[in-house]
Amino acid sequence: MKNKSNSRIKVCLAQTDPKTGDLKKNIESHIEIISSAKNKGAEIVIFPELSLTGYFLKDSVYDLGVDINSDEAAVFGPIYKISEELNVAVIAGFVEKDADFNFYNSTFCVYNGKLINVHRKVYLPTYGMFEELRYFKPGDGFGIFDLNGVKISVLTCEDAWHLSSSYIAVNKGAHIIIINTASPARGITAGLNKFNSTKMWEELLSVIAFYYKSYVIYVNRVGFEDGIGFSGGSCVINPSGNIESKMAYIETGEILAEVNLNLLNNERFKTPLLRDENLNLTFKELGSIIGNNKNK
Amino acid sequence: MNHKIELPKIDELNFPLIYKHLGNFIKSEVLKAGVNRVVLGLSGGIDSAASCFLAANALGKDNVTALIMPYESSSKSSMEDALKVVNTLGIKYYILDISKQINEYFKNETDEAEANENADSAGGDTALKLRKGNKMARERMSILYDYSYKLNSLVLGTSNKSELLLGYGTLYGDMASALNPIGDIYKTQIYQLAEHLGIPKTIINKPPSADLWEGQSDESELGFTYKTADDIMYLLIDKMYKPEVVISLGFEENIVNKIYERIKKSQYKRRMPLIAKVSERTINIDFRYLRDWA
Repeated sequence: MKNKSNSRIKVCLAQTDPKTGDLKKNIESHIEIISSAKNKGAEIVIFPELSLTGYFLKDSVYDLGVDINSDEAAVFGPIYKISEELNVAVIAGFVEKDADFNFYNSTFCVYNGKLINVHRKVYLPTYGMFEELRYFKPGDGFGIFDLNGVKISVLTCEDAWHLSSSYIAVNKGAHIIIINTASPARGITAGLNKFNSTKMWEELLSVIAFYYKSYVIYVNRVGFEDGIGFSGGSCVINPSGNIESKMAYIETGEILAEVNLNLLNNERFKTPLLRDENLNLTFKELGSIIGNNKNK
Repeated sequence: MNHKIELPKIDELNFPLIYKHLGNFIKSEVLKAGVNRVVLGLSGGIDSAASCFLAANALGKDNVTALIMPYESSSKSSMEDALKVVNTLGIKYYILDISKQINEYFKNETDEAEANENADSAGGDTALKLRKGNKMARERMSILYDYSYKLNSLVLGTSNKSELLLGYGTLYGDMASALNPIGDIYKTQIYQLAEHLGIPKTIINKPPSADLWEGQSDESELGFTYKTADDIMYLLIDKMYKPEVVISLGFEENIVNKIYERIKKSQYKRRMPLIAKVSERTINIDFRYLRDWA
């Protein structure tokens, strides 16, 4: 990967249809995509939420958990290896198991053969068709990590629906917010050529990118699990709030997009919302809200 | 702009995505079962025609087989319309008349029926008529599953969301299938879908009927039109409005209540049989995997 001074980073968005419950097959397909993306010049390859396992796992969560800080991480060996051989960063979703046997809906970043970051999904939807809290333990924060001088934060699906998560990420210094999802397609409207759920996502992503002055990279999956289809539409939104690269809604595929840090520089100078953000005020207000809630 | 909350229309703008989505569903779920073909019962009505058009598009016309299974009282136009579908699509089909086995089964019942106090003014016996209708639906199911094995195909469902919610179908009869592309689409929307799919007009324009006996009509049996029912069910189910809220929006109280009762009373038809929990891990209770598990 080039240094930040180069200002432009090539990112591959991999809109996949994971084989539910089949870690081995999914690792193989990840490797294929990573290697072809590198051939096209990608420096970072991003996969959807739970890309290595599938999403509606139910009891098979138990069979798929990997303790990535133990010998069990060897199962991801081929991904570590290719990231080293090809000098590429890989961001992919998996079921994480910790040393105390808790399970998480997690996303790793592996670069140059090393584990750089793990994001454990914080907000686990457990309503309507979702039942994540039944199986997973929530993560405890929104971190950022550095890839050659570029600061990245990963939010997983529902995390992004809580605007506090992207607020925390950008104020921690994120230049790029990666949102990996397994978002089911749902709701139709007359006169609208996309699912209602997609429309909500696109509005949200644009808001995050524009008001938090950051690049937002949205990588959603496609395919079906027991009749529930995922809506795809992976895209990159620049800090002006505009969609720069976008994939078809319900097809697998990869797209190569460019993140231009000069544009981020330009946007943050012209509209310095982040510079002006009053964290002390927010902190004070949050403190009082929490205090008041305790007294209720 | 109209902010009234109403059943969304399938129109030329959302149709392409819905069409592709339903095609992907059929392809994906059929292939996961390790086959690439479906078989379905084609009645000549709009629902099975819609399923058939969707399947032929998703899997290719050579991978869809239609079974046309008339009973002696089935209307002639049903057969003609079913043939229009198979000819338009160029798919394989079989015609299997079920009159013989149905009549054989019921041959000793006629006398009892005449004595039955349920005999209605039309001279028929409502209970017997219903039993016969259910028996026909299950006979068709039985043949479909036999052909499913014979043709190495999955059985494609043809029940729409309206009839599934109202329980207007035969349990283990027309409600049985391996996968159903139209089960989340209301009858009113099926008509809109059908227009865009290019289903022959005669099928779209005729009044909805299960055609289990001569002159049967869904809407006169139900006591309300699909249009009314769908508008109400969209609010009750999709929007999760309570019946009293739906009534407050101007819908007729007795129809709203009747529909809500029908939905509740037919819940059993939409679920797997109950299993008495004895062990520590019970099928479908706390033994929980996707059907796509394998």
